[in-house]
Amino acid sequence: MNINSPLHSLQGRLLIASVVILPLVLLLAGLALSRAYEYSQENELQQRLQLQVYLLLGSINLKEEHIQFPERLTEPRYDRPHSGLYAAIHDQSGQLLWRSLSSITLVNKEIERSGNITLAAGEPQFQHLSDESLFRYQLRIIWEFPEEDKSLIFTVMESDIGFVSNLKEYNQHLLIWMSIIFLVALLAQTLILRWGLFPLRKLAEDLKAIESGSSELLSGHYPDEVEPVTQNLNGLIESERQQRERYRNTLGDLAHSLKTPLAVMRGAGEEKQSIEGYKKLVDEQVLRMDQIVQYQLSRAVKSQNAPLGKAVSINPIVERMLSALGKVYRDKAVTTEVDIPTNLKFPGDERDLMELLGNLLENAFKYGDSKVGIRGDINNQLLQLHICDDGPGVPVELRQVILKRGERLDTSVQGQGIGLSVVTDIISSYQGELEIADSPYGGSCFIIRMPV
Amino acid sequence: MKILVVEDDSDLRRQLVSALEDKNYTVEESPDGEEALYLGQEYPYDLAIIDLGLPKLSGIDLIKTLRDEGKEFPIIILTARGDWQDKVEGLEAGADDYLVKPFHMEELFARLNALLRRAAGHAKPVFEYGPLKIDTTGNVVYLNDTPVNLTSYEYRTFEYLVLNAGKTISKTELTEHLYHQDFDRDSNVLEVFVRRLRQKLDPDQTLQPITTVRGLGYRFALENKDSE
Repeated sequence: MNINSPLHSLQGRLLIASVVILPLVLLLAGLALSRAYEYSQENELQQRLQLQVYLLLGSINLKEEHIQFPERLTEPRYDRPHSGLYAAIHDQSGQLLWRSLSSITLVNKEIERSGNITLAAGEPQFQHLSDESLFRYQLRIIWEFPEEDKSLIFTVMESDIGFVSNLKEYNQHLLIWMSIIFLVALLAQTLILRWGLFPLRKLAEDLKAIESGSSELLSGHYPDEVEPVTQNLNGLIESERQQRERYRNTLGDLAHSLKTPLAVMRGAGEEKQSIEGYKKLVDEQVLRMDQIVQYQLSRAVKSQNAPLGKAVSINPIVERMLSALGKVYRDKAVTTEVDIPTNLKFPGDERDLMELLGNLLENAFKYGDSKVGIRGDINNQLLQLHICDDGPGVPVELRQVILKRGERLDTSVQGQGIGLSVVTDIISSYQGELEIADSPYGGSCFIIRMPV
Repeated sequence: MKILVVEDDSDLRRQLVSALEDKNYTVEESPDGEEALYLGQEYPYDLAIIDLGLPKLSGIDLIKTLRDEGKEFPIIILTARGDWQDKVEGLEAGADDYLVKPFHMEELFARLNALLRRAAGHAKPVFEYGPLKIDTTGNVVYLNDTPVNLTSYEYRTFEYLVLNAGKTISKTELTEHLYHQDFDRDSNVLEVFVRRLRQKLDPDQTLQPITTVRGLGYRFALENKDSE
């Protein structure tokens, strides 16, 4: 997505959505209002025309089986041409019996057509003849005479000019008001968005301040929805800072501790030594430096319970390690026993788990005769992993010594592997502990315990 | 035995090659993953030593590609970082063993011997065939418990036949596994070696450890005393 596109900002997205959707909503509302107004106007007109028909009915006289049509009517508009109100009476065969004076300006066709209509008695018909710009109301009445019944069709028509112009005016007003509502709503929404998204903008500014070094952590109050993000970010920043610190310390330690063996070698080059003696010395110092590098490297890389780190399933990692080690120690034909619930998780980094299992399992493969077992469970919020073998085992009096040496290997005796010290280091960073016990197979068991 | 060494550091590569050549292995070398892949695809190696951090094509990808293409020779990976993630990934890609830098050459030879032996289907480093005893760790052949004085090429030729005991090995295969690519294949050096081996290992011509399969090659035909 283009960084300058309005779609790149939340505010831009919400505004674009409003600009698209709001007019649609307002258009629909306008249409509904316009339709409702038109309907009520038509209704009113229909009632007016109905009244006119009744008035017309009342003005007819019956004289000895003859119908006498009125000369003049109370409604003056019937007598005035172009008045816009017209009336006519037809008999049942469509014959025009009477028409108002006003209707002489109408085309005769419309009067004639009004007679040619089939209409149930007593049922009015109201129509908008938009081609002729007329509203028409018609009613058939049956008149009872002694010999026969006569049926008459009353028609009242009114011009729709007033109605149409009324409606037009109404729609124009409606459009103006809808436009005003649209603009006000848009403005209101823009303001609401600016206000609502303000904490996010503040977050961005705060982050920028951290980036530029003028601030260390996100401070101040954030809304409840943003608070978890800022807390996590703070955690991340803090762990990043600690990691940097650790790298710096490690590099310092590394440089410092490598200088000594280097000095020893340089010194040995300058003193008179036999080739054999020199070879031996170089070999010793190389081993020492190798251990220092490995140890410091593993300390630096080791995660410090990253706040966003997730728990890792133990079983798949164990399976991978066992199949890898099984390959390396194929000649020994070691049988492995795994008893770890599938849902058992390690509360930390996958790399740490691999280092723990790799070092302890390799020891088990190396010192065991033919059997390696790994068992795990969780008891009282304590994760336990037992890694056992059937080798010679570790004498009780040596167990503490081995673990102690693991704790402070950077100063340890030369020639010892550093695997165990990496293990104790990782375990203690998780506030856990390592114990050496007797194995059910006859060798030793290394037991990791750490809180979950 | 023909070994491929893939390592980008020229000093370490030179050390590896010369140490292996001192032990009379035939060694070919490559400084990067792409060239190594080509060599691995084209030539029949008995083992490869592959560094994980290689230019052009990583060690892991190189091993995966070779394995995908059905190359089955044993592979030892060299890793500098030495963390378990690297080791496990390398082994999962198809390597058979790993060595963490820096390492002693003796350690490398021990692993290499074990892998070559294992690839040939033997569990122990010493094989006995009647009066003949072959110690693949010390590169010594004993006849009636007396060490036989073999040149290193003679030993390698004999060892290759023993590791492939029962199989007929063509002269071409022997040449390919024992000598460099640019070795003159038309020479009858091989026949000379075999003739000398027969004289040294079977002076009375009663044992006949190496039989000639006419038109096909040679075969080590003795039965293993303590076959696994």
